[in-house]
Amino acid sequence: MPPRSDREKERLIEQMCAFIPHCVLQGIRLEKVCGEEVTLRLPYRPELIGNPDTGVIHSGVITVLLDQTLGTAGICCDRVETNITPTLDLRIDHLGVAAAGRDILACAKVYKVTRRVLFVEGFAYCESALQPIARATGSWVQMPELNLDELLRTSQAGVQQQ
Amino acid sequence: MNLAELIKRPPDADTLSLWLQKVPYAVHLGIRAEVHDGDILFILPADRKLVGNPTLPAIHGGVVGAFMEQAGTFYLIARMAALVLPKIINFSLDYLRPARLRDSFAICTLTRQGRQIANVSITAWQDDRTAPVALARAHFLLPDGD
Repeated sequence: MPPRSDREKERLIEQMCAFIPHCVLQGIRLEKVCGEEVTLRLPYRPELIGNPDTGVIHSGVITVLLDQTLGTAGICCDRVETNITPTLDLRIDHLGVAAAGRDILACAKVYKVTRRVLFVEGFAYCESALQPIARATGSWVQMPELNLDELLRTSQAGVQQQ
Repeated sequence: MNLAELIKRPPDADTLSLWLQKVPYAVHLGIRAEVHDGDILFILPADRKLVGNPTLPAIHGGVVGAFMEQAGTFYLIARMAALVLPKIINFSLDYLRPARLRDSFAICTLTRQGRQIANVSITAWQDDRTAPVALARAHFLLPDGD
């Protein structure tokens, strides 16, 4: 299996973000693909505030973004086919607070592949990737019988009708 | 009244509702709370905007996590004696089943409360309380109170 180019990965991820209603709602979008590493962006919005006294984004929003980003990392991994991968577990360490008013970015990469499981790690940050506000690890189950490319192609018509 | 003042009210159903209304993200997701026999039941009503997998359809796993995290936070505030806003340290989530496009429920247990750290377990289910969709644990830091 030849590795997919960054551009192919970007196309698949953009399609996937457009296919997931909650990603569309939150404006979660592709920032960049760099080899096996993916970065997604979540724009700041007042609806996402967790502490009204400070204006800081809810930690649950970071959970959504990290779940999405780590789950997407499978598409960028050159050792696996693009299949649907449900989350098995996710663990998040909150290292800092997102600055009020700033977008949040999250970056992730698969670090181990077995026949059935992808082990993924990643982190979220605001201004600098050198100062993460949260770090995450998780595992995703590979479902080779559910091909993502095929699903996106067959469901495209359905999504457009909605 | 700001959130720091609101948490000083006794944690009955009205107070829980006031707390949730004060948090824009909890309002955005539609989280509600009820008190049954002294225990707090958190509810995430089914809503198409929460869908992560449109083919099943299933609620976004991250949203299930966010709902459980919010439930755990308010449960802790309601149960502890100190009137402080807890800060989440870490959150660990096991997904057991897809959360379908139905109402989801969460109940919490304060597993341990020390002077500075609290451990809360959260269980989320949909139709059948004995068949949870997800289990979570959270550690919270309790800032020094007044």
